[in-house]
Amino acid sequence: MTFETILFYVLALAGIVSALLVITRRNPMHAALFLIVNFVALAGIYLTLHAQFVAITQVLVYAGAIMVLVLFVIMLLNLQNEQDLFEKRSWRSYSGPILSLLLLALLLRTVAFVSGGSFDRISPESERIGTVANIGQQLFTAFVFPFEMASLLLLAAMVGAVILAKKRFP
Amino acid sequence: MIPISHYLILSAVMFTIGCAGVLTRRNAIIIFMCIELMLNSVNLTFVAFSAYLGDSAGQIIVFFVMAVAAAEAAVGLAIVLALFRNKKSVDINDVNILKW
Amino acid sequence: MPDIIFQSTKHFWPEITLALTFIAAMIFEFATKKRTTGTGILVLLGLAAALVQLPSAPSEPVSIFGGMYAIDPFSTFFKYVIIVTGMVVVLFSFQSQELKKESGHTGEYYCFIAAVTFGMVLMTGSSNLVMIYLSIELVSITSYILAGFSKSLRRSSEAALKYVIFGALSSGIMLYGMSLIFGLTGTLDLSGIRTALASGHAVTTGWSFAALMAAIVLMLAGFGYKVSVVPFHFWTPDVYEGAPITITAFLAVASKAAVFAVMIRFFYVAFFDNMLASTGVYSSFRNVDWSMILAVLSVLTMTLGNFVAIWQDNLKRMLAYSSIAHAGYMLMGVVVMSNFGLSAIMLYFVMYFFMNLGAFYVVMVIADKIGSENIDDYRGFGKRAPIISVGLSIFLISLTGLPPTAGFVGKLFLFSSVMASQFIWLAIVGVLNSVVSLYYYARVLKNMYLREAPDGDESPIVFSKVTSAVVILFIIPNILLCFFYQPVLTFAQRSIAILLPGL
Repeated sequence: MTFETILFYVLALAGIVSALLVITRRNPMHAALFLIVNFVALAGIYLTLHAQFVAITQVLVYAGAIMVLVLFVIMLLNLQNEQDLFEKRSWRSYSGPILSLLLLALLLRTVAFVSGGSFDRISPESERIGTVANIGQQLFTAFVFPFEMASLLLLAAMVGAVILAKKRFP
Repeated sequence: MIPISHYLILSAVMFTIGCAGVLTRRNAIIIFMCIELMLNSVNLTFVAFSAYLGDSAGQIIVFFVMAVAAAEAAVGLAIVLALFRNKKSVDINDVNILKW
Repeated sequence: MPDIIFQSTKHFWPEITLALTFIAAMIFEFATKKRTTGTGILVLLGLAAALVQLPSAPSEPVSIFGGMYAIDPFSTFFKYVIIVTGMVVVLFSFQSQELKKESGHTGEYYCFIAAVTFGMVLMTGSSNLVMIYLSIELVSITSYILAGFSKSLRRSSEAALKYVIFGALSSGIMLYGMSLIFGLTGTLDLSGIRTALASGHAVTTGWSFAALMAAIVLMLAGFGYKVSVVPFHFWTPDVYEGAPITITAFLAVASKAAVFAVMIRFFYVAFFDNMLASTGVYSSFRNVDWSMILAVLSVLTMTLGNFVAIWQDNLKRMLAYSSIAHAGYMLMGVVVMSNFGLSAIMLYFVMYFFMNLGAFYVVMVIADKIGSENIDDYRGFGKRAPIISVGLSIFLISLTGLPPTAGFVGKLFLFSSVMASQFIWLAIVGVLNSVVSLYYYARVLKNMYLREAPDGDESPIVFSKVTSAVVILFIIPNILLCFFYQPVLTFAQRSIAILLPGL
């Protein structure tokens, strides 16, 4: 067992446990904090795959920006706990887990046996492709068109969020 | 050496946990967090395939997914705010003017 | 790389015009507060400018921006439908009272119509999974904003919340499918995926077959959600009922056209076997009968849409269910995926454009007058507002698919394309469904013509000359296209060329 292997399994466990805690905590604030744990664990897993750029943006964008926004909204609304999370049974509390188990079965059936060919070990190329330099170069050459379109998407979303959240006009 | 299937199983499990959260939780903000969880596990699949295949396209699309996730979260939370102003609740079971 | 960009740009002017319209409208709106119709006119001009550039699109398929985007007659056809719908919706919005109540905000509303039109146009040409994802999200996110636009109306915010939650869920599911496809083929490019699948090395082992199946199912779920195919339809009635009616009309026509375009491109380019193109059968991976799965989805969609529509009392909600049923009809053309089927779908979209926008327009002006979309409140309308009632009757008959209306020709070609590919039972189910739909459309007609207004009120309801003129403008093509559909059909048949690798 190399250090990397141990690191992966520890982080994977942390990721699954924190994900379970996100969907079971009643207090939205606790759920949000566990989600941050999950994001950071994932960033560590990206590092075991030599994906430096993704790992850094994961922490910056998800943990840093998106979750700050979520926490801000939770505090702004001063939400109460979801009191009757496990008491009031609706059709949703039955159908949700059943559908999810079916989905899990489908996905596991699909991915559990992935092997062979280049899937036996991490490509030696991965050291190079995960760097900021390579991703940046790709973004501004082969993927420059989607990059520009993404900027328009962000512009539209930004203006839309401001309009929706603004106090109602007199 | 970690086999790729372990990365993919981890991602599939987290994806399902997120999906279960979306289907069972009632607080709209927690539902958004569960959707972020799902998008993150998809990102893990992309990065794992990218590293094993030695193809950077998988990591580029993750970059775009993050951008879209941020935009979606901003718009979604703005809608939650607008709704909260109208009715002081983010419980989606209270969203019942329109029938299912 | 820079020369590729400059060379690509010359085919990309309609899209650039739309993007510039969006940005210019936004700057104009911030610079001149309150003059909201000004922004609307600016957007209208921008859309018109994009429209007039479409005829100069190359007649041969071209791939631009390094394989990210395809310019071909197929996407150009859908761009016409989408941009014209956008212009009509802007014109409707000028008249809508519902939007006027949202004082001050309507300027931004027009900006978002430009943005969503741009996104839809981008969808029709996307030929890379990154672009498909980005353009679908651009359309989705702007649609969430537009659906929640009348903030003071609670049902609008609620519709937007439901839309955003289920929309994000479906994008996540679709993205998972994309990641499996990437893992299998090692590429995000649609023609690259086709090459990898055709060469066979991608589908050799047991797991890769399972992964391919799962990927297709997940992608189908994502696309199915966006066109509201049963069982992913549950958001449609609520969002269509809750959103401002102009946006409902936009989503029902343009959004559906864009998703059908991207869905057809995805399956046609990545999975469709070139050799079998003439017979129109999916390349069946180890005997999985994809056309049968799609046929079952199509039958479920139209049956559920039509049967649930029977119980609806709100006309807007009924039209939502009817649009689910129409998605089912159009899916029949995807089932066969033959050239005939594709041109039938495209012809149907033109017909659908006239009948659906006409119906939504009438519902809008009536709701603005009497403040209700309830079918029972339409009693006695035949006498009180004759032109509007005749218009609504013709649009509904057209939606049913009875002659002499445009809907009849649309359905005729759709059903015969299905029959030509040996799916006779599917065509029969389609016809039976049209009979069911007659029942609930006829209920509206019965209320308008055979029943008296509740309080015996027979005073005429006066609509402005503009309203009557618009209704008549929509009646004319609904009748004319039944007899003179040939030019549209020829145009559709000439537009089925989809960009394929090696062309």
